[in-house]
Amino acid sequence: MPRASQLHLHCPAQSQYVAPVRHALTAFLEALEFERQSLEDITTAAGEALANIVEHAYVKGACPAECYFDLRASVNRRGRLCLDVCDGGLFLERAPLPGRGFGLRIIRAIAGELTIDTSSGTRVRMTFDCKK
Amino acid sequence: MSAGNAVKIIRLSGELEISRKYGLRAALTLSEDAAPVLLDLGEVTYADSIALTELLRLCVDAQRSDRPVAMVIKTPQFARLVQYAGLAGAFKIFDDETAAREYLAGLTRR
Repeated sequence: MPRASQLHLHCPAQSQYVAPVRHALTAFLEALEFERQSLEDITTAAGEALANIVEHAYVKGACPAECYFDLRASVNRRGRLCLDVCDGGLFLERAPLPGRGFGLRIIRAIAGELTIDTSSGTRVRMTFDCKK
Repeated sequence: MSAGNAVKIIRLSGELEISRKYGLRAALTLSEDAAPVLLDLGEVTYADSIALTELLRLCVDAQRSDRPVAMVIKTPQFARLVQYAGLAGAFKIFDDETAAREYLAGLTRR
């Protein structure tokens, strides 16, 4: 029985950190021999969740040291991937604007399950049935 | 960016994502001329919803001035992103530049 695998990354919530975190997730999934399309879709969903944090989670002027995002990926022994993308900011329900708001729609289209917990900061939990 | 055969060509490559947001917006802002627009995104390796928003903005601006837009997308991740966002009907997408040029030429002959 293979052991569970985990990845944990913590970065300032700034746009220049989104791609490196996504690339690290890609390498993690490649090491676990995920099939290419699944890997691309999962990293796309992660990128959208991270970009949402950078764009919306923190108010302008917030202390940079307190603005972060956190990504945790774990693959259990049954091969199911759980991906948590968290921040310590605010989750604001916004009225949809024309031509905006595609991020959550994309995540919903990709993730097998999606939950958003806003009880302390925001945690977006996505789960995926792995294809290797 | 280049203009040839009365078609405005905009070529973008690499990863179109949040850290390039303002550069993308600048690159995808249309000039005042009335040429059809060919967006060559064939060398794009990754795109996100920020890029889609900027592409949609360009298409809306082009539509207002009656300029057709054709888009070349080759990367599977990018093509699926458009589907997942529900924007397949909003863009005219081709998988090679020749087909995109023929589409634009057909429209301008009318």
